[in-house]
Amino acid sequence: MTNKEKYKQAFSAMHSPCEMTLEVEKMAILSKKAKIRTTAAAIVTICLMITGGSSVVYAADVGGIQRMVQLWIEGDQTDVSFTYNESGTYDMSYETKDGEIEELHGGGVAFEDDGTERPLTEEELLEDLKRPTVRYEEDGTAWVYYYDQKIEITDRFKDGVCYVKVSNGEETLYMTILYQDGWCSSPHKYEPADSLRVKTSQPDRP
Amino acid sequence: MRQSVQELFEKYQDNLYIIAFNVCKSAEDAKDVVQDTFIQYYLAKKEFDDEQHIRAWLIRVAINKAKNVNNTFWRRNKMSLEDYMETLEFETPESEELFETVMRLPEKYRIVIHLFYYEEYTVREIAGILKLSESNVKVRLSRGRSLLKEKLQEEWENDE
Repeated sequence: MTNKEKYKQAFSAMHSPCEMTLEVEKMAILSKKAKIRTTAAAIVTICLMITGGSSVVYAADVGGIQRMVQLWIEGDQTDVSFTYNESGTYDMSYETKDGEIEELHGGGVAFEDDGTERPLTEEELLEDLKRPTVRYEEDGTAWVYYYDQKIEITDRFKDGVCYVKVSNGEETLYMTILYQDGWCSSPHKYEPADSLRVKTSQPDRP
Repeated sequence: MRQSVQELFEKYQDNLYIIAFNVCKSAEDAKDVVQDTFIQYYLAKKEFDDEQHIRAWLIRVAINKAKNVNNTFWRRNKMSLEDYMETLEFETPESEELFETVMRLPEKYRIVIHLFYYEEYTVREIAGILKLSESNVKVRLSRGRSLLKEKLQEEWENDE
C-alpha cells in the first residue's frame, strides 16, 4: 500500500456524527440575529470607551450637518459622508470595495472635571474614528486595521488573547485583544488581558 | 456557480469533520465547526468558479474556524485522544498507530500532511488554501514526513 492509501485507511475510521443535522436555514437566522446583537454591542463598546466606562447617553438623530471627510477604513483612505448631531452622536456612510454602501452610527458623552456631562464634540468623535479597528472576517480570519496598515492576527491568539503593536509614525499603540470579546490600547504598555475581561464583563451602574 | 448546501453537506461533511478534528482535536468542537462552515457558505454571497473552488473554500473556512476554537479562551471539556480513539473502529492495528502518530504531530505539520495525503492536494494548492508560500508548505510536509517515518519506521515509506 502507498502512504496515501495507508493514510486514507487510517482516517476512514472517522465519520461525522450521525446526529449532526443540517438545518442551515434555521441556523442562519439564528446566526444573523447573533450578528445584529454583536453589532449593537460594538456600538455600546465604542461609547463605553469614550466615556471611560460611565453611563451612556444615546440620543436619537435630530438632524445634523453632513460633510465629507477622509478616514482610513480597512487600510484604505476612504471618502466618508459624516453627519455630526449635537447630541454627540454621528452617522456615517461610505462605499465599500464591493460597491455596497456601509452605514455606521455611534456616539458618546464626556465628563468634565466638575462631573458635568456633555456630548462629545465632532472633533472628539472623528479622533476616536482614527483609532485602530479589529475585524473578524467571514472566512474566520482576524485583522487589525490602523491607518494604512492591515495586520492579520488570526494565528497570534494564545489562550484567546493577542498583543499587537501598531504605529502611525507619530504615535505607537499597544493593543490587547480578546478574541471576539473586545480590545483596548495604550500608548505606554500592553494592558493585562485580565483587567480588560473585568472591565468588559462588569455591568454599568445606574 | 453555487451548489446547494444539502448537496455539499452530503458530499463533504466527513472531510470537513475530519479536518476540523485534525486541527482542534475535539469531536464536539469539530461538529460545531462543520455546522458553522456550512452556515458561512449559506450566508456568503460569494460566487465560485467550480466545485473544486467551493471545496477548497469550505476546507479553508473549516481550518480557520477550528483554529479559532483553539484560540478561544473558553473551550469545551474535551475527550482525551486515547478515549476518542476507543470510539473508532480501525481496520488494522497499523491504521490505529498511524492515526495516533499523525494526531500527535505539531499542528502546523498535521494540517499540511492531512491536506496532502487525505485530500490529495498538491503543494501549490495547499499553499493557496493555507495562505502560505509553497516553500513553507514543502518544509512542513518534509518535516511532518520525517517525524512520521521516525515513529512508524517501516510502516511509512520514503515517498519524498
